[in-house]
Amino acid sequence: MTLTFSPLRFSLHLAISTLLVIGQSSAQTTAHKPQTSKPTSTSAGKTYSPELVQKGRTLFQQDCSFCHGRDTTGGESGPDLTRSKLVAADVSGDKIGPVVRNGRIEKGMPPFDRSDDQIAALVAFIHTERKKAMSAAGPRGEGGRKGVDPSDLQTGNAEAGKQYFNGPGGCSNCHSPTGDLAGIASRHQGLELEELMLYPKHAKQKVEVTLASGQTMSGTLAYLDEFTVGLIDADGVYHSWRTADVHYKVDEAVNAHVDLFSKYTDDDIHNLMAYLQTLR
Amino acid sequence: MNLLRSIFLIAAGFVVAVGFSPTSSAQGVDDQRLAHPPADSWPGYHGDYSGRRHSSLTQITPENVRNLSLAWAFQTNQTSLIKSSPLLVDGILYFTVPENVWAVDARSGHQIWQYRHPRSQGEHIGHRGVAMYRGFLYFVTPDAHLVSLNAKDGTVRWNVQVADVSKGYWTSMAPLVVHDHVLVGVSGDFDNLNGYIRSVDPESGATQWQWDSTPPAGTPNQTTGGMTWMTGTYDPELNLVYWGTGNPTPVLNGSTRPGDNLYTCSIVALNPETGKLAWAFQVSPHDTHDWDAVETPILVDGDFHGEQKKMLMQTSRNGYFFVLDRTNGKNLLTVPYGPVNWTLGIDKQGRPIPNPAKEPAPDGRIIAPDEGGLTNYRSPSFDTKNGLFIVDAHPSWSIYFAKPADGVYGWAGADYDVWGKGVLEAIDYQTGTIRWSHELGPQGSGAGVLTTDSGLTFTGDAMGNFLAIDSSNGKTLWHAGSGSAIVSSPTSYELDGRQYVLTSSGSVLFAWALPEK
Repeated sequence: MTLTFSPLRFSLHLAISTLLVIGQSSAQTTAHKPQTSKPTSTSAGKTYSPELVQKGRTLFQQDCSFCHGRDTTGGESGPDLTRSKLVAADVSGDKIGPVVRNGRIEKGMPPFDRSDDQIAALVAFIHTERKKAMSAAGPRGEGGRKGVDPSDLQTGNAEAGKQYFNGPGGCSNCHSPTGDLAGIASRHQGLELEELMLYPKHAKQKVEVTLASGQTMSGTLAYLDEFTVGLIDADGVYHSWRTADVHYKVDEAVNAHVDLFSKYTDDDIHNLMAYLQTLR
Repeated sequence: MNLLRSIFLIAAGFVVAVGFSPTSSAQGVDDQRLAHPPADSWPGYHGDYSGRRHSSLTQITPENVRNLSLAWAFQTNQTSLIKSSPLLVDGILYFTVPENVWAVDARSGHQIWQYRHPRSQGEHIGHRGVAMYRGFLYFVTPDAHLVSLNAKDGTVRWNVQVADVSKGYWTSMAPLVVHDHVLVGVSGDFDNLNGYIRSVDPESGATQWQWDSTPPAGTPNQTTGGMTWMTGTYDPELNLVYWGTGNPTPVLNGSTRPGDNLYTCSIVALNPETGKLAWAFQVSPHDTHDWDAVETPILVDGDFHGEQKKMLMQTSRNGYFFVLDRTNGKNLLTVPYGPVNWTLGIDKQGRPIPNPAKEPAPDGRIIAPDEGGLTNYRSPSFDTKNGLFIVDAHPSWSIYFAKPADGVYGWAGADYDVWGKGVLEAIDYQTGTIRWSHELGPQGSGAGVLTTDSGLTFTGDAMGNFLAIDSSNGKTLWHAGSGSAIVSSPTSYELDGRQYVLTSSGSVLFAWALPEK
């Protein structure tokens, strides 16, 4: 079941490949030449030099536009950056830069090894596109994915949604309009609220692990695959075990959302949305 | 036909002559090797022409796979994820990330050469690998050029444009070599562009023919799209190339393109000498969900309910498993292999009937599968031993939006993934019944599948574990954490009497084998 290899052999390979890497990098020109122009401004609300924005556009089209769209409004799978809270909060790349360089592995975004100048150009382009999108009325350009406005999501009937919540939807088995959902519509709006309603992607799951000794440990599920289960206990400490050595039980309550997907009509969803929006 | 046959014979004779030429130091790849790859080679993207990715090698077995060890690893030291399938020819592996080709010794994993294409315009989203013919490699670039490299040292022989990057095309696929034709497909979903397959002369780079999947952009009431961004398969006996075409454009809004939108979301059979269409089968008429039908059209000969058939099978991105008679394109089976909710049924030709109420709408429609589809470019495998079609599936739900303000150009709407997971499914090809399934983790896995004659299935899970699975029952027999996302398909070959399984994850290529004696 476990991977076996000789540590000596492995480290030898590592040593050789390290040498190769050094040999390669000295023999090659760098893929991305540092760019020399400086932004005329680095603040999100201000304007950038057309040259810098153009540089950013070129970089964005090469590496970012497939997922985020050529005009940053979203493409295949990536979010609309003109409506991103992170982009809105970014000042001079302090938020965007680390995301570009580190990626968001858990969301499927790979890291990109880019120079300070390249990041500055990307930031200039993204902020310029955001500004354009915020001020534009009517269709937005360039064939990218488009945004969803809260006003688009007002076609439901709140009373029907309430009935669904308390009846066939089974929502009230776990949720309460005066408990966990009190004021939900003040905390989340529009598409964000609808996405949370359909499936709370970032919900923490509880797990209970029973060790061979009979001792039980519980906490927040931190990792799970076929081979390893990990949790973070009440003190914030990470523990893990081979799944073969323990019994574990994950709180499956969130899967009630998954069970609903095949039962929902589109009207059910719109009605539920209308009802949740009354919980301010 | 006679004329074509004599042209082929002349071409074949030329190949033999070149093969024996004293000036040719490397054997390279010829028609014979492409049609019947020896165990010590993987001469095309899918290995052989069938797309089955089923290895006849049996050294690694369900009994001994627990001893599988790392033979070597190769680090590209780049952030681009490896999505390509390495070719193996004469002991050398050739693989890619966008704008980079490596030649690596398959015995040791050390680099022989690296080709770096100048940083170019166009999407750098991924790269599937090179093709080879005789001693030359064929490599496409983000700015939609086809570059021929000398396999000996990676020097450029010629470089031709296959599509116009300024219009929004790019290229990422591994070309398919059939006789003296290098077949290249194109990508481009963010503009209303027509898709095509182009046949290029392997010696000169000259265009031989072009087959258009859709009419030219701007034709009234006609669709654009039908991109051809994955490698097709080939039946030498029928002399037909099989290719999947992509979604129509505008992507999520079908109002300007009434009707079925031929030949988008289709499996097409083409004559490789002429590019003439022999038949087409559309798996998604009038698609409005971005479900390219480019997934490998796998060729299988065998029994279908008591009749010997030459079949073509596809687990399509739209959620349906299709079995066709590949001599004529007639449908034998259409059945979903996971949750789908966008159809009103199956028509007489075996095509799913799209439900107009499930087209993207201003207030959203809940749709299964999601835009990434029930599967995607990762390769499935046909296990000839157990008669199972094994696919890394992605049961998933999403919401699709489109409103008039989104326009009728490019994406023309918005969609958002709600939930998904990865499940390896072993499908009985005669019925579509799922014989066994194996959970691969939340959101899903990007790993392709390889099966072997010894009864093993190699793939990877959503957390980045490489897995060896018993093909008869889906049980895990071996695993290794790889440390990154797996978005490529495994391959296998035998060298010096030792069977290797090649996998990649992140920017690292791993070669696995049983310990040396």
